[in-house]
Amino acid sequence: MEPSRRDFLGSTATSLAAGALGTPRLVGEPAPEHHRPRARALIWLFMSGGPSQLETFDPKPTLDARHGEDLPDSVRRGQRLTAMSANQAHLPLARSVFRFAQHGRCGAWVSELLPWTARIVDDLCIVRSVHTQAINHDPAITFVQTGAELAGRPSIGAWLDYGLGTRNPDLPSYCVLVTQGKGGQPIYSRLWGSGFLPSRHQGVQLRGGADPVLYLDDPPGVDRDRRRRLLDTARALQQHEFGLDADPAIAERIAQQELAYRMQRSVPEVADLASEPESTFSLYGDDARRPGTFAANCLLARRLVERGVRCVQLFHRGWDQHGDLPAGIRTQCQETDRASAALVLDLKRRGLLDDTLVVWGGEFGRTAYCQGRLTGTAYGRDHHPRCFTVWLAGGGVRTGHVHGETCEFGYDVVRDPVHVHDLQATVLHLLGIDHERLTFLFQGRRFRLTDVHGEVVRPLLA
Amino acid sequence: MIPVPSPAALLAALVVAGTGAATAQVRAASAPDGGEHWSFQRLPAAVPLPAATADATHPIDRFVRARLRELGIASAPPADPATLLRRAHLTLTGLPPDLADLDAFLREPSPAAFERAVDALLASPRHAEHMASYWLDAARYADTYGYQSDVHREVWPWRDWVIRAFADNLPYDRFVTWQLAGDLLPDATTETRLATCFNRLHRQTNEGGSVEEEFRVDYVADRVNTFGTAFLGLTVECARCHDHKFDPLSQRDYYRLFAFFDDIDESGLYSHFTDAVPTPVLDLPTPEQQQALAAATTRVAAAEAALAAWDAQVGAATAAAFEGWLEQEVPPVLEPPVGSFSFEELGPKGELANGGSSQAAGRADAGAARAPGRVGNALELDGETALTFPGVADFTRDDPFTIALWLRPAERHERAVVWHRSRAWTDAGSRGYELLLEEGRPSAALIHFWPGDAIRVRAAEPLPVGSWSHVAVSYDGSGRAAGLRIWVDGQRAPVEIVRDHLVRTIQGGGANALTIGARFRDRGLRGGTVDELQVFDRELAEPEVAELAAPGSWAALWRRRHAGGDARRQLALVFTASRPERTRLVAELNAARRARSGVVDAIRAIMTMAELPEPRTAHVLLRGRYDAPGEPVEPGTPAALPPLPVGERVDRLALARWLTAPDHPLTARVAVNRIWAMHFGRGLVATPEDFGCQGARPEYPDLLDWLARWFVDSGWDQRALHRLILTSATWQQSSACDAAARSRDPANELLARGPRFRLRAEVIRDSALFVGGALVEQIGGPPVRPWQPDGLWREKSGATYVRTPGEASRRRSLYTYWKRTSAPPGMTLLDANERDVCVVRRESTTTPLQTLLLWNDPQYVDAAQALATRALREGGPDTTARVTLMFRLVTSHHPDTAELAMLTAAWDTERSAFAATPTGATALLAAGDLPIPADLDPLDLATATALASTLLSLSAPQTLR
Repeated sequence: MEPSRRDFLGSTATSLAAGALGTPRLVGEPAPEHHRPRARALIWLFMSGGPSQLETFDPKPTLDARHGEDLPDSVRRGQRLTAMSANQAHLPLARSVFRFAQHGRCGAWVSELLPWTARIVDDLCIVRSVHTQAINHDPAITFVQTGAELAGRPSIGAWLDYGLGTRNPDLPSYCVLVTQGKGGQPIYSRLWGSGFLPSRHQGVQLRGGADPVLYLDDPPGVDRDRRRRLLDTARALQQHEFGLDADPAIAERIAQQELAYRMQRSVPEVADLASEPESTFSLYGDDARRPGTFAANCLLARRLVERGVRCVQLFHRGWDQHGDLPAGIRTQCQETDRASAALVLDLKRRGLLDDTLVVWGGEFGRTAYCQGRLTGTAYGRDHHPRCFTVWLAGGGVRTGHVHGETCEFGYDVVRDPVHVHDLQATVLHLLGIDHERLTFLFQGRRFRLTDVHGEVVRPLLA
Repeated sequence: MIPVPSPAALLAALVVAGTGAATAQVRAASAPDGGEHWSFQRLPAAVPLPAATADATHPIDRFVRARLRELGIASAPPADPATLLRRAHLTLTGLPPDLADLDAFLREPSPAAFERAVDALLASPRHAEHMASYWLDAARYADTYGYQSDVHREVWPWRDWVIRAFADNLPYDRFVTWQLAGDLLPDATTETRLATCFNRLHRQTNEGGSVEEEFRVDYVADRVNTFGTAFLGLTVECARCHDHKFDPLSQRDYYRLFAFFDDIDESGLYSHFTDAVPTPVLDLPTPEQQQALAAATTRVAAAEAALAAWDAQVGAATAAAFEGWLEQEVPPVLEPPVGSFSFEELGPKGELANGGSSQAAGRADAGAARAPGRVGNALELDGETALTFPGVADFTRDDPFTIALWLRPAERHERAVVWHRSRAWTDAGSRGYELLLEEGRPSAALIHFWPGDAIRVRAAEPLPVGSWSHVAVSYDGSGRAAGLRIWVDGQRAPVEIVRDHLVRTIQGGGANALTIGARFRDRGLRGGTVDELQVFDRELAEPEVAELAAPGSWAALWRRRHAGGDARRQLALVFTASRPERTRLVAELNAARRARSGVVDAIRAIMTMAELPEPRTAHVLLRGRYDAPGEPVEPGTPAALPPLPVGERVDRLALARWLTAPDHPLTARVAVNRIWAMHFGRGLVATPEDFGCQGARPEYPDLLDWLARWFVDSGWDQRALHRLILTSATWQQSSACDAAARSRDPANELLARGPRFRLRAEVIRDSALFVGGALVEQIGGPPVRPWQPDGLWREKSGATYVRTPGEASRRRSLYTYWKRTSAPPGMTLLDANERDVCVVRRESTTTPLQTLLLWNDPQYVDAAQALATRALREGGPDTTARVTLMFRLVTSHHPDTAELAMLTAAWDTERSAFAATPTGATALLAAGDLPIPADLDPLDLATATALASTLLSLSAPQTLR
């Protein structure tokens, strides 16, 4: 039973007539959206671990003034903390050691950790009032990715592929790029899984190195010519069989084998950064020359959306600064700041930014108080679901805008809260989808990315 | 057209039409007569069987053909014998027939021969393995815990139990009962208890900072959801946060089911710092271990008896010596402590001098403040400052010891750590020993894994706040709560026994120093002051504890040594304890216990179900939140289903008995439907996970009921059911059909043709290895690590996947190591689910990534090379014979003229190409594990390998036709 949203949207992609030999099922016509989309593609820079908003985009003079004092009970109001700091004898407020300054025409505050991002604030929509509900990584990151804390729901990229289909049949529609060599909180393939949607909608990980897609490379001894010949034999055998027994599954298999063959060329082409001009690397930085770095992945993301990939998600681990935050976050920012900004600039220069939505952010924020002992300049911050900062760029987003406000302690949202479900609804909206109408019937219920919640945040739209 | 639209089709239609009335419409469709939904009605005692006709004698055919006749649809002709035998092999064993089986059947393709073949297949171990592979999905089986850290856990003995259960054709009612409640059976055995690991296979977390109760509730919920999906075919989880929107399941019903599954002594977090198996556990000793344990236990019992006997005779045997001892003028010197810390001075680096016999110094964190003490100076703590004392108190569960100090709490702590030797609280399952204040009351424990493997006693009275108390804990090395004592101000404190089940070691986790005042992610002794820490490597006697609490009391007692009565009793305690003979007996007992512990700690443990002595009270959790308990509920079954049998204890066993009642509305229907789907690729109910109002309505409800009734009456005999299905003409029909028939009934709901479906991931891989003889058929044991692309684990979590080359890389797929957060791509690309939650139906997709897997995974290159090797050896020098053999092995059919021409042409082309560049041949043959046989021509072998790989990638071997 797959009551298809595609039927709902009027797509013809699921009907594969017997005569459709050689027409790959994945192609179809791009499905019509619910409304005119502002963006055709999504790049989500996922900062896994929970970057501190207090060290990046949300300065708090009160923390400077009241450094070392306990978080007032009147602020916390008995809300739950993680078991890492819930038992602390004290919850001392901790000021950020990093300087903030206003940037751009919009005057957005950005800390010294993000000098490159600071230069593009007029292209960004900085949302300082995002909030979530989970306080541990696994449920929280699952929530951002799937709209639910429990495992088993489709990820946002899978929803997009299910809803919109692909724009380039020779590449996976939903690509996932993970920075290599990072420590920190683990991630897992479920985060880009298809949940109860058909598994063809799951994200495909593109990896640095020889096999950008799993099993892409032919075995030694099988060159392009031999693969083509063997595929021709397979095709002939299966067409012969199809002639005897017009099973559409055979036709589909043939089509997918041809697609696999084409992917063997198209994926290495897109993953090969050597063809990029020198100016690209001066924009993204030298890191971009090394496959598997965040910078190389940003560049790869641009190349993918350039070729019609619908959704690209980058995962960069290591933002979980419970202790020794200043040193840890400095490293994280050095690894990501320049390339994130470069990606936005690059897309803009190529005229792709109007059609591409870029999202930067993690799964939750960090506490105003110090986890563990507050000593000198070393401090740490625990998980904090009640507010954190996400920025968006391109694809119909209001630029040079800072949205929402947190309290003087950086603890609660006091103006224009944006729940993760609201953020998801807004992202879908920008891609032409009504989040309440993109559904899939599973276990007797119509599920959607935003569960039964979420509202499009109109002030974020251009 | 199919006359009655299924609810799914109806809903889809409504969605397309954009009406909001879908729900109501579906409900109406589900119960057109306004009565109870079909699947909630009790299974009838008898289901009328349509009359036999010339073309329909088999019961299944009678139902199907009667309906087809009504609709004027002809059934398909029988499948050809090769197809038929191939089907039977694939659906019963997950492997295709070998040529010998095929040839034998083609010589005599009679119904009798087919039935013999089916019986042989059902009796083969391959059948048990294949059935087990399905059940692993329902049981969300995996070799790791899941969630983000996803650490290894050892549960494969349960998987082997499943294989044994199918090998023994364990009746389904017992298969279910053992897994749900094998621990509660009156005649429970290790085997029936092992089965209950089913309920513990849900994901578990050890993520730092998690709220323990939040996850414990999730675990129980997962048990309920799995119970609902696997056995009831209902989406009970929809009722976790609110009443079910479609089915008659209230939220209260949900938590009544929940109450069956929450009565085990478990923690919501497994241990990060140790490898403790989360409690409750079942011991799985090897026969050797069982023997060693029995012998060691006998020796402990003998040593305990010897000590008890000595103590009993002490009066008579040592009376004279005691009298002589009492004659001393000066009180005998009590044995000194191994650690004695008066906290008078703090060294420059926080050193704390030790006046005890071990002389190992302690150390204070910077936050410790000097304060006026009970004796001289003391140290005041802030809840995060720790005092550590390495080298004085690294006791095992077999060592007697006593730890004493003066303590002045600053508040009545809900919870505070006074002292401990452990790495952490929940992050280490509290492994070690500890003294806490709980609601101000001293609480002492020795712990392997809290709460299920520990002893704990808690004083009845809280300590006074703001004044000094002397608190001592003594332990006799017995591993029993009775041997753990709390003393306050020299008096034995009345205690309640909180836990009395310590089995395994209390050491490990990376902490071996006694520590005062704070613990990793625990609540410290905020504002408390401590003084005069004393550590003894023996169990102190009452007057010795009293002397610590009130120095001089020993001398005073000595002065009253001739007063008789209680003074004499107390003196005798000290005298007795200090006798060398007794010291020797104590040492022997200690040695015997340590020896037994050595055996116990090495015994494999596996998660299991075991009831708490007192059941927990379950509550409705408002909006499903763990921290929002509503009304308390008793265990019970959903109101819309039959009631529990009266008079029985209401526990999981009662639930299992209820579930396997012969007229239960769902159990047999759900089971039969699942088995049906194994053979048809689709259940009679197309939604095996949902028999509720939103589920698909069966096209053949009477057939389903008849089969369910037959199944129950057969004694829940699963093999008999397989046999029944396979011997029907319906199953034996050809699956070929024309476009008109396909468009009339694309999913073959009417069964006017035979089954056709993409095979499961496991079957595809196993068959590829099998056809060339490369599959290593060894049943059970630890999971194996076959081919997998490099780096998949590392990039996600830093863990390293090390392949086991050789035979371990060629075992059946159900033995492949299943890491939840990075499941084997060779399985998931072919639509295996990730095993996070119970799944009873897999999707079936066709993607280019599957093609790449079959072309390029060294696993499949190896499989192709094995097939090629076999073709060269058994096919002889003739190309036609070689390609024919390969084609037959892969498809179970002879190639026709056209196919043969294509294959021989391809052979010649590839052979020439390899001959032109022979390095290509050697490179291809070196890609996998398998050696290149010296007696075969590498060019031939490479050619055959390339062709074999091509054959394995075709639609035919991946499809049941």
